[in-house]
Amino acid sequence: MPIDARTVEKIAALARLELEPAEEERMVRELQAILAYVEQLQAVDVAGIEPTSQVTEGKPPALRPDEERPCDVRDEALAQAPDRDGDYFRVPQVV
Amino acid sequence: MSESVKGVGATAEAIAAAVRSGSVSAEEITRAFLTHADQTAGKLGTYLHRMPEEALRAARAVDQRRASGVPLGALAGTPIAIKDNICIRGIPTTCGSKILEGYRPPYDAHVIERLRAADAVLVGKTNCDEFAMGSSTENSAYHPTRNPWDLARVPGGSSGGSAAAVAAREAPIAYGSDTGGSVRQPAAFCGVYGLKPTYGAVSRYGLVAFASSLDQIGPFARTARDTALAYNAVAGPDARDMTSRAEARPVDLAALEGGMEGLTIGIPRDLLEGEGLSPEIRACFDAAAAAFAAHGARLADVALPSSKHAIATYYLIAPAEASSNLARYDGVRYGLRARNGGDLRAMYERTRGQGFGREVRRRILLGTYALSAGYYDAYYLRAQKVRTLVRGDFLKALSGTDALLLPVTPTTAFGLGEKVEDPLAMYLNDVYSIPASLAGVPALSYPAGFGATGLPIGLQLVGRPFAEETLLRIARANEGWNDAATKAPPIAAEVSA
Repeated sequence: MPIDARTVEKIAALARLELEPAEEERMVRELQAILAYVEQLQAVDVAGIEPTSQVTEGKPPALRPDEERPCDVRDEALAQAPDRDGDYFRVPQVV
Repeated sequence: MSESVKGVGATAEAIAAAVRSGSVSAEEITRAFLTHADQTAGKLGTYLHRMPEEALRAARAVDQRRASGVPLGALAGTPIAIKDNICIRGIPTTCGSKILEGYRPPYDAHVIERLRAADAVLVGKTNCDEFAMGSSTENSAYHPTRNPWDLARVPGGSSGGSAAAVAAREAPIAYGSDTGGSVRQPAAFCGVYGLKPTYGAVSRYGLVAFASSLDQIGPFARTARDTALAYNAVAGPDARDMTSRAEARPVDLAALEGGMEGLTIGIPRDLLEGEGLSPEIRACFDAAAAAFAAHGARLADVALPSSKHAIATYYLIAPAEASSNLARYDGVRYGLRARNGGDLRAMYERTRGQGFGREVRRRILLGTYALSAGYYDAYYLRAQKVRTLVRGDFLKALSGTDALLLPVTPTTAFGLGEKVEDPLAMYLNDVYSIPASLAGVPALSYPAGFGATGLPIGLQLVGRPFAEETLLRIARANEGWNDAATKAPPIAAEVSA
């Protein structure tokens, strides 16, 4: 499954990541090398093996009661905004 | 006041005992470490943000609590450095990335709450590879960190700043995060202890997520007992991280003195025969196994046949999870926003293109590819199945042993710039640390010796789930015949002499 410039452009668009044209070329090369290395997994016999998405040894903590709790960080959070209009985050025009 | 407690060579255990007894103040201790770090931190590039005023304020508050009769915590007055991907309220947290420049979290991570409750003193945010992606700390967007043993070499990564801080005596304890070896590998390169706890032992609430099925917070220290204190201070369940577990019990410090008698150490012969293990690390490994046997342990050969696929497995799973976790950096609510106009989509793309460094961009692309339609089954799902095999090998090997002995790294610390242009070569350096991460089992990197050029060598003990105590007991026994952990790098000795 070789990866080419078109595929890199497509996944960069999916990931909302702008790449310079020169970097695109480099990424193709580096991703090809990494994908060639991980290709070894195709030879592993995994018939009947369940996937491990996460190790879940032990018992999870009890859920807290579903009660309203104060969270007084609105001003601190809004103060981080790159662009702000009062109590709103401002973004470039969408429509 | 004893000189040994006043100096920066003091252990956390000695400092906390002295502060609790009142023989030294937390403020005196803190000043001594801050003054020492004034001379070393700039040369090493340990920190992204130092916190001298906050540290002194916290230290004085500890002294006041003692004066008013409040019993002090287990890390009373102990200076502690924190990797810059762990949130401290109001203190810049960048994860070594430009995309988070200027971000000040409005909350403390769970481990920070616990450390404050233990009366610890936070001294700064340490440098790391951007979003913890790397093995050398060269991927920090701000500056590299240097190895205290040789300034021309890397400290390892991604928690390189935390490892360097402890090795250089800037703090007796530091915390990092370990996803595929990011605590253990820098610990080995810098000649200190580094513990990756069992997956679920420490809450990640407030740790900036990289690969959530693997991320775990762990401590650095210079003695086995300090490592235990540092682990105890943060381990245990927290309802804000549903992967955290009550099975994570504090290590009993008295049990660490149990010696090697009655323990069985597994030796994974197949992993050792792989290419690339340097002869000096192999020799150190063989000497360690022989010493364990000489002190009463039984050695048993074990096999970890699927671990030869661990790197390939990891470099599909971790980037896939990272591509999802890092989707949140969009330039809307905090951090960097690209200024060069355009619509909302262009703003996202430019912000992320400019804000993420090359390694992070590469992993986002790799992860997006591995998860994309048509490739999910072949890459991500298959990697998760191989992960099941890797974990199965560990549980089987550990069913007849108390711990496994492994190298941490194939070589001692490499040079700055040596591998940074070849991502795959950098990834292959993680061959011995990644398997335990995939298996979710605890693993401790401990100082085991020095190579021919005087660089530290670490070895790794891997245990059953929630058996951190066993690993620390073995490491503590090792201190009885091996003084590798007591040696200080030249930079620490020069300035404290």
